[in-house]
Amino acid sequence: MSGGPAITLKSQPIDGSNSNSGNAAAQQQQQQQQSGNGSAAAAASASSSSSQQSSAAGSSVPPAQEGTRQNSLQRIQQRKQKVFNLPEAQKFAKLSMYSACQAEGCRCTGWKTPQENRHRDVESSYCPELSEECRNASCRHPLRSHIAHMAQISRTSMDELLGAIIDMENLFMSMQRVEDDDTKKVYLYLFRLLRQCVLTRTQAVIRGPLGDPPFESPCITKAVLSLVFYKYHHLSSTELQTMTEVAKTFLNFLNHYNFESPSARRGDLTLTHEDASTYKINYTRWLVFCHVPAFCNSLRQFETSLVFGRTLLRTVFQYMSQQLKKKCISERDRFPEDKRSIITQMPKFLEALRSELLKDDSPIWDPNYRPPNSFVMQQRKRHQELPPTSTITSASSTSTSAASSGKRSSVGEPLQKRIKKEMPERSISTENQDDLPADVVTRAMKAVAESKTTNKSEILFPVNVSRDENVKAEEQKRAIEFHVVGNAVTKPVGKQTILWLLGLQLVFAHQLPEMPREYISQLVFDTKHKTLALIKENQPIGGICFRPFPTQGFTEIVFCAVTMAEQVKGYGTHLMNHLKDYSIQRGIKHLLTFADCDAIGYFKKQGFSKDIKLARPVYAGYIKEYDSATLMHCELHPSIVNTQFIAVIRHQSEILKELIAQRHNDVQKVRPGLTCFKEGVPSIPVESIPGLREIGWKPQMRPVRASRPLEESSDPEKLVTSFASVLQSVRQHTTAWPFLRPVPANEVPDYYDHIKFPMDLKTMGERLKKGYYQTRRLFMADMARIFSNCRFYNSPDTEYYRCANSLERYFQTKMRELGLWDK
Amino acid sequence: MPLTAESAAQQIQDRLKDIQQHIHKVDNERRRAESSIASLVRAQQNQTANSKLKTLLQSKILEATQEEATIRAALAKIHEIRNIRNERRIQARNAGNKEAIRRGALMKMVQLSAQTLPLFVGKPGERAPALCGAIPAESSYVAKVGDNVAALAKGSDEEENWILAEVVQFLHRQNKYDVIDIDEEQKDRHVLSKRKVIPLPLMRANPETDGHALFPKDTVVMALYPQTTCFYKAIVHRLPQMATEEYEVLFEDSSYLNGYAEPLPVAQRYVIAYKPTKKGAGSGSGNLSSA
Repeated sequence: MSGGPAITLKSQPIDGSNSNSGNAAAQQQQQQQQSGNGSAAAAASASSSSSQQSSAAGSSVPPAQEGTRQNSLQRIQQRKQKVFNLPEAQKFAKLSMYSACQAEGCRCTGWKTPQENRHRDVESSYCPELSEECRNASCRHPLRSHIAHMAQISRTSMDELLGAIIDMENLFMSMQRVEDDDTKKVYLYLFRLLRQCVLTRTQAVIRGPLGDPPFESPCITKAVLSLVFYKYHHLSSTELQTMTEVAKTFLNFLNHYNFESPSARRGDLTLTHEDASTYKINYTRWLVFCHVPAFCNSLRQFETSLVFGRTLLRTVFQYMSQQLKKKCISERDRFPEDKRSIITQMPKFLEALRSELLKDDSPIWDPNYRPPNSFVMQQRKRHQELPPTSTITSASSTSTSAASSGKRSSVGEPLQKRIKKEMPERSISTENQDDLPADVVTRAMKAVAESKTTNKSEILFPVNVSRDENVKAEEQKRAIEFHVVGNAVTKPVGKQTILWLLGLQLVFAHQLPEMPREYISQLVFDTKHKTLALIKENQPIGGICFRPFPTQGFTEIVFCAVTMAEQVKGYGTHLMNHLKDYSIQRGIKHLLTFADCDAIGYFKKQGFSKDIKLARPVYAGYIKEYDSATLMHCELHPSIVNTQFIAVIRHQSEILKELIAQRHNDVQKVRPGLTCFKEGVPSIPVESIPGLREIGWKPQMRPVRASRPLEESSDPEKLVTSFASVLQSVRQHTTAWPFLRPVPANEVPDYYDHIKFPMDLKTMGERLKKGYYQTRRLFMADMARIFSNCRFYNSPDTEYYRCANSLERYFQTKMRELGLWDK
Repeated sequence: MPLTAESAAQQIQDRLKDIQQHIHKVDNERRRAESSIASLVRAQQNQTANSKLKTLLQSKILEATQEEATIRAALAKIHEIRNIRNERRIQARNAGNKEAIRRGALMKMVQLSAQTLPLFVGKPGERAPALCGAIPAESSYVAKVGDNVAALAKGSDEEENWILAEVVQFLHRQNKYDVIDIDEEQKDRHVLSKRKVIPLPLMRANPETDGHALFPKDTVVMALYPQTTCFYKAIVHRLPQMATEEYEVLFEDSSYLNGYAEPLPVAQRYVIAYKPTKKGAGSGSGNLSSA
């Protein structure tokens, strides 16, 4: 620690103006803020803001009742403006205090006011002569030599330097006031950084172990906007608009939120050790990149919501949302009438965000999730259309820094303005890297919509609508309804429910004549079973009786039927889609059923497969097993809304066709055709086919191996854990039994005559333990050996042969899941 | 003359334009008729001379006839559109254009063609003709190509069922029909003697004016089971009260205690007179097990 700068600063005359009254004001302010927020988090900010205030205390701005942050900003700005407006000589004097002496051999880093003038401030009336000597004993050079190198400096760069100096001084004051050690360290670091920058007259850039922003993808802003679309896209445009404003208010609150210092959170028992250290890193990042730069504009500022992602939000969300809710209640009356809906919708929004935050597979945090272009553009357009005042009003709802955003830009700092604009645009452009431009897609969508209205084929034949479209139309008209009903013994069951259950029992009994009626009654009225009922004119006309096993993560489908006269109308498909959505909402990702031979076709259409991707122990003993029925499985994807799926896919395919057609129009050109093959050339490289490049074809647009994060070069330990998990799953599979152990020679005497390289799962396990599987290839080769041996020795009509086929498929699936498969 | 998809679409478009004009005309005439009626009523109240009243009445009758003619012309156009569509469909099929149509869509079409079946609107005193509602065809009648019929055909299991079929041609020499199963999944052609084919009604009867052309309650009939393409024995439970309504029938179903299923709606087009076969028309639920 060189110690130089700090000591130098301490003796700076700036302290002189920091009168008692200023201190008192600062303290008073601090108290106010603490009582106002009632939180420890506020202390950090209060200390920093109060310091800024104190440093500007010379001005006659009275302490404000609220809006300290805004006031601090204002004061800093006023002080800067004042310094900028000083006579040049005084500005140079100020600069000299942080500029290295240019005299040869002198190591003095800043001119020091002579002893007799120590209490005078260059920012007010004091203007030292160029010839006055530096107080530093090892220097003693005149002020002139401290600024000799700045003779040619432009006014703007001088002001920039002065701005940085003021920021630095403020930082120093803050550093002295702040009590939290971590925060103090950060302030010190930034102070030194700025000091160095002023000395070398360079732009401050923060480098180091903190990494560069953005720290996570997707950022909070993007995820929150995705959430608005994901949860509320079905609402009317005004409601959607409200939700968007709610989201923006939330983001604004977050961007002005004062995070608790890590030490303040030490008492929080919900935080694991790991969480705490992650939080500490993020807290430091926030201070350095978001919080401090808000006050020190010589540092580049980033919006919290644009550079941080899920991890940070998770750690602070609970406390932050509580505060936001409180604020909403307390500021309710000050809100304009037409904006009140934002406040009323806030708790709902926060709840939705919370649940998405906790869900591991929430689509909004998926970097690939993107609301449709139309939505994004609409939002962007709206954002642009909004007059600046209205943005501020929405901001004022949550943060006392009401006008701060407006203020900051009006003050006019070219650097920050630029950053702000750049940020969102950059993130969008990277997203769309290998995507079509939005306007092309919009055009195609428009064309599709138009062609639908002018399509003539409909005149000849009725349109062949998708399987569930009519049903969805009926549902919209409320001609049919879907309800999940079930019996209960611990609470009263409504008459309607009982009547529907009775009706459902009749439907099942008629449609499933193989099932004993008593058995149907028993299950439909069982309290653990539920039935998704399709109700038409208050009569159940179909339903799916199911039993969820939340602990096992799957739902068993017990009965599924639609009454005869209502079949082939798409009700079955829509019922199943509703059940899928219902399950997904409850965190269940697998549906299992024993299908009789008549039902297999239906279940196949609904995305079920005989290939069971769940390990047997997960469901064995839970699900009811039936003779002469086939177990079928359907895995659910949490980000698919199944009731919308068919329509979405159809629409997408129409748009795609339209895009292809458009492209076709653009490049329409008939070429003479290739003659080289007639001349006997066996093959030519694809790219040499004329015209291919012109239509935008590129050889291997993406790196082929991108999907293989665990290639040979990767962490061998990770590889071993992956292999272990694959091996474990394979062992547990229902068809693994023939391969668990080496083939016993005493039972199959001729086996080893035919099979020269035997392999089995037990041996593989041993090899894995010994660390034999250094690469993926070795592991896959042994596994492949098991199957090829089996198929070599056994004939295709044997159970063994089938087991090999089935297990091989399962193995491939498992490997693919871990990104260990090539294709 | 081959009817291409384009020309068919064009022809339909032309007729739609005609219909639009007719509708405007009907609207005008109706408005005129209303004012005429009002003036007639006034004249009656003022006890105008009989001769004058008579001429007034005559002119009004003329107007009403004109209105009726316009409405009928519009209906004729609608009928033409039906025919063009049908024609085009038959040609497409003959050209081997077997457009795969999903079952759900097929059922929808079966429903739609029953709902859009022309309504018989007779002149005063005119009786409903053959193939209107429940009135059977004359014994010498031969269904036209493309018409729908109920056909007693053998399925793959050698069992005879009354199925919904379409006439491909009538083989005069053999006095047999060549029909095709409406259910495209079956793709079965059947050559059946005339008595195994029952033409379906070509017009709906209006219950308000032609109640006699409906099956009375409790008649034993054959009706198309909803969402299937088979006719089964049933009992008329409730008659349609309006031209747009359907019958309610009770199908024989042994899985119900009383032997009959709950009432189900069936359109006029798909309710025909019961024709006993050796083993009876279908056996209800036996073939209608779960799907």
